[in-house]
Amino acid sequence: MLETVAQAVINGLLIGGIYALVSIGVTLIFGVVKIVNFAQGEFVMIGMYISYFLATYFGVDPIVSLLVSMPVLFVIGVLVQHFLIRRVLGPNDMPQIFLTFALSLLLLNLALLLFTANYRTVHTSYSDEAFHFGGFYVPEAKLIAFAVAMGLSGALWAFLHTTDLGKAMRAASQNRDVATLMGINPNRVFCVAFGAALALAGAAGSLLMPFYSAYPFVGQVFVLMAFVAVVLGTLGNVLGALVASLMMGVAESLGIQFVGADSGLIVVFAMLLLTLAFRPQGLGGGRMR
Amino acid sequence: MTKPRNRSVPDRESSGTHPLLSKRYGRRKFLIKTGSAVMASAFGAIPLRGYAAEPVNIGALYPTTGSMAQIGVGCAAAAKLAVEMVNEAGGIKSLGGAKLNLIISDVQSDTTVTRTETDRLITGNKLSAIHGCYASALTLIASEVCERAKVPIITGSSSDQLNKGRSYTFTPFARASQFAQAQLQMSKLVSDKPKVAVIFENTAFGTSTSNGLKELAPGEGVEIVMFEPYSAGFTDAGPLINKVKASGANMLFSVSYLNDLILIVRTVKQVGLNIAINGGSGGFVMPDFYKNVGKLAEGLQGVAHWNHDIDANAQKVNEEFKKRTGDFLFEYAGGLVAQTFMLADALERAGSADPQKVREALSTLDVSSGYAAMAPGGKVKFGPDGKNIYGRPVGVQWQNGDLASVFPKDEARAPLIKS
Repeated sequence: MLETVAQAVINGLLIGGIYALVSIGVTLIFGVVKIVNFAQGEFVMIGMYISYFLATYFGVDPIVSLLVSMPVLFVIGVLVQHFLIRRVLGPNDMPQIFLTFALSLLLLNLALLLFTANYRTVHTSYSDEAFHFGGFYVPEAKLIAFAVAMGLSGALWAFLHTTDLGKAMRAASQNRDVATLMGINPNRVFCVAFGAALALAGAAGSLLMPFYSAYPFVGQVFVLMAFVAVVLGTLGNVLGALVASLMMGVAESLGIQFVGADSGLIVVFAMLLLTLAFRPQGLGGGRMR
Repeated sequence: MTKPRNRSVPDRESSGTHPLLSKRYGRRKFLIKTGSAVMASAFGAIPLRGYAAEPVNIGALYPTTGSMAQIGVGCAAAAKLAVEMVNEAGGIKSLGGAKLNLIISDVQSDTTVTRTETDRLITGNKLSAIHGCYASALTLIASEVCERAKVPIITGSSSDQLNKGRSYTFTPFARASQFAQAQLQMSKLVSDKPKVAVIFENTAFGTSTSNGLKELAPGEGVEIVMFEPYSAGFTDAGPLINKVKASGANMLFSVSYLNDLILIVRTVKQVGLNIAINGGSGGFVMPDFYKNVGKLAEGLQGVAHWNHDIDANAQKVNEEFKKRTGDFLFEYAGGLVAQTFMLADALERAGSADPQKVREALSTLDVSSGYAAMAPGGKVKFGPDGKNIYGRPVGVQWQNGDLASVFPKDEARAPLIKS
């Protein structure tokens, strides 16, 4: 029994790491730019396709292709922020919602058009393997993904807390007007934040590729979890999103194990509802950290 | 702000308030009448020798976009191939060599869209029959619309619900409950004492298939040690396989579409679980499954309502389909080629493109040779519930990258490999 719980927790933490990369991106954009990026899942999808094509045509390991997918997505993020998001930043939320939602639909259908709805899988030497110890197993690909995800989250946290640009980002998220008065160029900060968020989505895509299939709708699977994690961990709170993602992974896994395999999400959403009822500001408190 | 609408010509005429104008309208009416008579004869309402026969419209409802797009596109390709084959063989001879005209409609893998698209297809075209829609969840809805509009629909979808209270729905292939029986019998080929874990996606297809398994298991002498629905499109099969491991099963039945099944098979390997897997039908019997899973797929078993090696005709169509698309003719697509020939047979005997008459002809269909009989069992004849009384599934196994028929014994093209 205890063994089953432990294995379920291991499984949950591993997938939670991937949820974290997506949700940190969403929360970073929300915290700094103050918009909800509905297209975040589609950028994960783009990251997956980048890794898929690099692996299939150039034999690049999906984990290594992180070095391509992250910069590419960063540049896409900067461009999207500079040419699209910037134009709709104003007191009214509606255009922003429509813009990112339209972007999501556009990317999704573009992918359907270009790549068709086929499931595409990359086979690496570690895709089907797992480490075994003391009755437990840890899939290699997921362990690598989890480790890199935690590393990237840590790097982002360090960036936000130690560098001038990171501090500027946090400042802009706390009070845009005052930050501007202090000589911070908000557009530059927003560009970097959006780029960084998309780079994380790209990383999530590359890390998923060794063990998950790429297809145009793949982003929607993860973005739902990301939104829940973002709300659960307080909107705009990076650390909160990380912790919430891991918790959700574990909750889902335990739910499948002990409630029913079609009830994993019930446990997750029950957790969300309870949090909203008793701690409406989320688990992380009201600040961006 | 309402604008007074112009009343139509007959309206104004019948109101009789403009007796002086009646002559003018009378001439117009005359033209409309004679004109429509001329048109009617030209377009075949009055058949004339020497005129090309009016094509017979066949509707095809498949999800060519959305989550099932890949399969839907394959189905559409097979539907086109089938219609070309019928037309090249001379079309419908009793209708003066009328060609089949295929009207493909995209149901976008969505139940709401399926309802509106089926409606639109029927009201917008003069259809003789419809075939579709791959997923049982979609077909159930399309079938409801067809029943109301009194247009026959023929489908390879396996849900037993399609045979309940319907008179325009025809299912020439094995039903979900029959799949279950075949799967259970196959498990006895693997082990004398099969202990089966059943995991299934919580959709119409998954529940109907797995309920069949549960009901029939005691009768077949198979013990079910785990019975678990899961939500389709999960991110991690780990917890589910954990449960399978804990159940002590020696055989796993997974009723899943492609993406979930890939995760399941991989996770079984990672856990190091030595268990025979029967993937049922759905995504398991698609060429893509092998492309995605690779060597891990070898030896995995499944059941299908159709396979490309069941007879010489099937192999011939398979070759042509392979030439066009690069992949072997998969279950559903192969079945719908046979269905098209069944429709052609019915049209031939009906001697009419009228959907009611086509329905009558379908209900008396009885074929045991040719492309229309290209089904496991080799014969098609519909019972009052629209079920093929000879319908049965075929047990298959992935062997060297191809799907070989291994069950039942008299239809096996290769022996079952025990892993």
